[in-house]
Amino acid sequence: MASLAPPAPAGLPRRAFLAASAGLALLAAGCTAGSSGAPAVSTEEADRLAGQVAVQEAVVAAYAVATTADPALALSDLPLSDLAAQAGEQLDRLRAAAPSSTSSPSASSPAPPSPPPGGDVRTWLREQVAGAAASHAAACVQQTGARAALLGAVAAGLRGHEAALA
Amino acid sequence: MADDGVLDEGTETAALREVLAAEHAAVWGYGAVGAALPPDAREPVVAGDVAHRDVRDRLVALLDARGAEPVPREAGYTLPFPVLSPVDAAALAVVLEEGVSAAWVRLLDQATEPSVRELAVEELGAAEVRAVGWRAAAGRTPVTSAFPGLPR
Repeated sequence: MASLAPPAPAGLPRRAFLAASAGLALLAAGCTAGSSGAPAVSTEEADRLAGQVAVQEAVVAAYAVATTADPALALSDLPLSDLAAQAGEQLDRLRAAAPSSTSSPSASSPAPPSPPPGGDVRTWLREQVAGAAASHAAACVQQTGARAALLGAVAAGLRGHEAALA
Repeated sequence: MADDGVLDEGTETAALREVLAAEHAAVWGYGAVGAALPPDAREPVVAGDVAHRDVRDRLVALLDARGAEPVPREAGYTLPFPVLSPVDAAALAVVLEEGVSAAWVRLLDQATEPSVRELAVEELGAAEVRAVGWRAAAGRTPVTSAFPGLPR
């Protein structure tokens, strides 16, 4: 009988993600597709991935702003510190996969978001996260290979955050 | 990425078949989840079961349309652990959702068609949303995952 547990051997080749995480996949883009056996990464694809770094920076900033704007959130049953830490991990992986964004991460950062005065901070935070999830998902569709997989996983992770914040 | 680094319709179809196999397992597994829960706690089971049946049928149609043989469901599946309580049931549902998530991410890695990636990223997100609820029910922390479906 077949096992219900995830079939590890059929999973993604881990090396593909290690390469993407280290930025090696994009560094290899300068090689011809034929020389490495891997598809070349277009400048457009690389730029799109760098753009998603800025989107994720805004998510990390939103968690920090939400905690400051409503300290009670951190004391509630909401695992805000876990969510914020995961958002940071996602940012680190995206930066690693988009080396062009790592030299000056603040240069492309949008202005820090802030909740409307007197508004519901939790709802505002959930909206920020939902917007970023949608952005990553749309970018995922336009990417290929390990970059698509990474963006899709980050988008799904943020959809989970959105559910946790509901 | 394919082992030789080349993505084509073949790699995409193979990954679609892997997702279908995972969805067959999820449909079967949700039966075991529901059986271990009291009737008044089965609403998320019904929702998950319906979602997995729907996407299973979409995958079968997609594979049929490209002339690829859909993967049949297995005659039976082995539970990863005894499912004797509501907490066990929730933990099993987490296993099921994380199993399909891994298959969807594999498809994202192998796909060539944007429409296939669109399906994959949508269903990957839906699986993670369900997983969040089940992790909470199973008493897991954190209830969320930074990278659903990616190898750890």
